Amino acid sequence: MIELAGNLLLLIGAFFYFAGTVGLVRFPDVYTRLHALAKADNLGLGCVLAGLALQADSLAAALKLLLIWPLALAASAAVSYAIANRAQALGVRPWQGEERS
Amino acid sequence: MSIGLAFDLLLAGALLWSAWRTLATPDIFRAVILFIVFGLLLSLAWARLAAPDIALAEAAIGAGLTGALLLDAIGVLRDRKRP
Amino acid sequence: MSLAVALFLLLNLVAALVAAARGPTPADRMLTALLFGSTGVGVLVLLAHAMALPSLVDVALTLALLAAIAGIAFARRAWHSAGQADD
Repeated sequence: MIELAGNLLLLIGAFFYFAGTVGLVRFPDVYTRLHALAKADNLGLGCVLAGLALQADSLAAALKLLLIWPLALAASAAVSYAIANRAQALGVRPWQGEERS
Repeated sequence: MSIGLAFDLLLAGALLWSAWRTLATPDIFRAVILFIVFGLLLSLAWARLAAPDIALAEAAIGAGLTGALLLDAIGVLRDRKRP
Repeated sequence: MSLAVALFLLLNLVAALVAAARGPTPADRMLTALLFGSTGVGVLVLLAHAMALPSLVDVALTLALLAAIAGIAFARRAWHSAGQADD
């Protein structure tokens, strides 16, 4: 039962990773790509880590796996803020929808 | 085992392709980004070869620190070229 | 199971590699490198489970930390022009 739940979480995580990659390839400008990268990928990582922690051998191993997630969240938030801030300072215009050339 | 074989073949192909693109591209920034990507893929290859210590060194030095240093060097080069 | 998911994530990485070689502005290329960082963490954790090597989790931790350093270095030092492929 626990193994089934773990495998299901792994599949959900793979789906979110796939959504992040598709967003990075298909989205039109820097801000939207940052959006796909920062949210979908970290959600996928969280699901994968939770699924693996359910199948871990010991409690310590499971907790160590789950500790990766806050680190990745903090790092991703800091990098996303820095890149978006720099893009705005450089004058990158957000994509408006209809003005595609 | 065939899933492992497919993983290894895909990883080796991506490694070779990124290494070739890193050496062949004319733009220096693109080369740096592809070098970071190459370091990450090489770290995955060491992990797949059951060598965690070398994978750790490659992830820390090859992908992280060298990438940051090369990006910093690009910034310094462009600052020096502009005035 | 975890090796199959790792293979799927590696397929995602190859697709992102094509985007990195093609992407029009420097920021898009850097975002691809960041995607490689986060997806690489996932692949390493899955490999640690599939190959029964718990020390690969440490590699994943290091990778999560240092990919962020490369991203910060790009945003603060290397990115100077907003336009297309800079000459």
